[in-house]
Amino acid sequence: MRQIRSTLCVVIAFVLAGAARPAMAQDNDFFVYVGTYTGFKWVHHSKPYGFGESHSKGIYVSRFHAATGELSEPQLAAEVINPSFLTISPNHHFLYAVSEDPLSLGPPLDHSSYVSAFAIDPATGKLRLLNTAPASGTSTCYISMDRTGKYVFMANFGSGSVSVIRVRTDGSLGELTSFIQNVGHSVDRAIQTEPHPHWIGPSPDNRFVIVSDLGMDKVLIFRFDAETGVLSPPDPPFASVYPGGGPRHFTFDPAGKFGYQLGEMSGAIDVFAWDASKGTLTTIQLAQTVPHDFFGSNHSAEIEILPNGKFLYESNRRTLSETVRAPDTIGVFAIDPGKGTLTPVEQIVSGGVMPRNFKIDPSGKYLLAANQISNNIVLFAIDGSTGRLSKTGKEITVDTPVCIQFVPADR
Amino acid sequence: MKNIRNLALLALFAVLCVPSAWSSPAASAEYFVYFGTYTGFTYMKEGLPAGGSNSKGIYVSRFKPATGEVSEPELAAEIVNPAFLAVHPNRRFLYVATEDPFSLGPDFDHASYVSAFSIDPTTGKLHLLNTLPTGGTSTCYLSIDKTGRYVLMANFGSSSVTVLRIKEDGSLGEQSAFMKHVGHGKDPSFQSQAHPHSIDVSPDNRFAIVSDLGVDKLFVYRFDEATGALSPDTPPFVEAEAGGGPRHFVFDSAGKFGYALHEMSGFVAVLAWDPANGAFTKVQDARTLAPDFIGLNDSAEIAIHPNGKFLYESNRRFRGPDLWGPDSIGVFSIDPMKGTLTGVEQVAPQGTMPRQFAIDPSGSYLFAANELTGNVVLFRVDGNTGRLTPTKTELKIDVPVCIVFVPAQR
Repeated sequence: MRQIRSTLCVVIAFVLAGAARPAMAQDNDFFVYVGTYTGFKWVHHSKPYGFGESHSKGIYVSRFHAATGELSEPQLAAEVINPSFLTISPNHHFLYAVSEDPLSLGPPLDHSSYVSAFAIDPATGKLRLLNTAPASGTSTCYISMDRTGKYVFMANFGSGSVSVIRVRTDGSLGELTSFIQNVGHSVDRAIQTEPHPHWIGPSPDNRFVIVSDLGMDKVLIFRFDAETGVLSPPDPPFASVYPGGGPRHFTFDPAGKFGYQLGEMSGAIDVFAWDASKGTLTTIQLAQTVPHDFFGSNHSAEIEILPNGKFLYESNRRTLSETVRAPDTIGVFAIDPGKGTLTPVEQIVSGGVMPRNFKIDPSGKYLLAANQISNNIVLFAIDGSTGRLSKTGKEITVDTPVCIQFVPADR
Repeated sequence: MKNIRNLALLALFAVLCVPSAWSSPAASAEYFVYFGTYTGFTYMKEGLPAGGSNSKGIYVSRFKPATGEVSEPELAAEIVNPAFLAVHPNRRFLYVATEDPFSLGPDFDHASYVSAFSIDPTTGKLHLLNTLPTGGTSTCYLSIDKTGRYVLMANFGSSSVTVLRIKEDGSLGEQSAFMKHVGHGKDPSFQSQAHPHSIDVSPDNRFAIVSDLGVDKLFVYRFDEATGALSPDTPPFVEAEAGGGPRHFVFDSAGKFGYALHEMSGFVAVLAWDPANGAFTKVQDARTLAPDFIGLNDSAEIAIHPNGKFLYESNRRFRGPDLWGPDSIGVFSIDPMKGTLTGVEQVAPQGTMPRQFAIDPSGSYLFAANELTGNVVLFRVDGNTGRLTPTKTELKIDVPVCIVFVPAQR
């Protein structure tokens, strides 16, 4: 019955969307790119291991109509191995994907990793490979671009380094312009025996680069020279987070006054004031995302702020025991506009298992939650005045979805 | 007129210095000898800043193998910590790995860069083309592939090897390969993680051999000279001696045998090379240490004489905190068929810590670089016996750690 109803909803929405479409402005139409894991096999202690019987073949693309919430069936945009994180150039012409070699030697978190540049077909959304280069690190888990679109930044989880590669005017990848090896550890013996950069991105003015290191419990701040692509450490060089927290993903607020650091293991959000002239982060709050009555293990994943700057969203992958997963949630927090502090609004179930990634559409009306294990991307409507999420009943099936990016269509 | 004057000078030098060498066929050859150095480090060691050197970069001397004459070294390029050098096959470019003395982190995790220089063929001075990150830390070795289109680097600190493309103008381009090594060895102090220490292509340019001091392995990568990519061979490595610490590697001139010098054990592993399959088979473990030596050994450099008959290797030794030596350069004869080594002699390097040495292209002289005593000593090489005889010629260079030769006045 439920399936029939949701199918009906999709059909009605599709019909409505179809009817409404000619009237809609083209700038509300987006390509939604989905990065996936296509599968792994590795050799450890001379034995082959593997997981994730993924049937994905690469990067998928759907068309999304923000006015109606219409989301088309995903199509293969480019065949590529394990495109686990994606970023889009500021001019929307190019997409960059990091991929992990499934056959490389070594333990699970030390896969040879590559970065590929693709040109985006503005009519179809299909991707055309420009070139591929080594990421200069292993198990590369994050990629972003500087504000000028001249460099890609990569966080290499396995080898504990971050790297910067120049982007040529044709969008293809050029030389390595910066390489920083993190050194250190923190309190968690399972995952924090060595550095694990998990996020890298530029400050709003492009003068600094922030690196979240999950292994060191540090948020590192580098000076960035947009002329040369070189990172150099400033003074002081980092902000610390709660020990054992495992900083995973970071975001600035749209006004560039505050920084929010999500801890993977703690599930806590460190709220910082950002001094844009000095490049410093000062702690102002530690906000909890895990309910007090939750007994289990938590792995928080993604963090993002609504374009209107009023609400913050973060996802939590939770396990109660080895076999019992859940409740996986997406948390909503209200942001104090003056102080930047967070107040919880709600935690709602993500509509699947392991919401490793989600993305708010550029119009700020919808949130797409990518559930890695249940292979579904669930569409939520966002109430821009309360921040609350409500299920639309729409979802698409994508095998092992782990990253979502939007690009305006029909440019 | 100029030629006549040069000849006259040459004749004069020949008469004054080494009269018997005047008729040698290499009489007309002249080389630039480049010396890589450490210009100094500023790092914290047990709470105190450490490091010091008066060197300013890469130095160059002129050298005439016919006479053994070598000019006073001059600064060829000012640059921080040019610890390893490699010459392009066309002899027009020089590539240098440098370690940033101010970078954060422990001793062996210095931010590292590679710089490309063009060589002035008349003065030997170096002109900087560009500098890029090596893609690793404490980069300790670099070499150029046979086509001259790629520079291969071993990053001791961050446990990786990287390859960068060389553009037509000699400058450095994009990274074409990055390989991380994972694991550890038997020695808890130096082998808690992988430490690639050398990378060299095979004679046919189809493979790259990496000595990993941290995991006691020789990695064999397939090298694609069209793309610059490395991919693990099958099997991906051969085991070296446990706790031995393979440091530098050399193929023999015929490309039939490989010789891996182990830093900690001082052993030279002799390996038969199958170029079709990229496979090694162990032939011999040759001992460089005298059986009665008690103390610590750190063997360093290995090279084969141009005539293919003799192998040389250097040994830095310690018997206590301030008790150095006896350091030595070992000479071995090579069995032409079996590739095996037989000890000829171990000679004193006339200084402390012979981290590097190089045999000049004519095979007449060996230059030994003593890192701690800051001197480079010329030895005469007997091409028939392999034996080394110290000459009176010695150059003062602060912290010399690498030597390469480039033909001059082409």
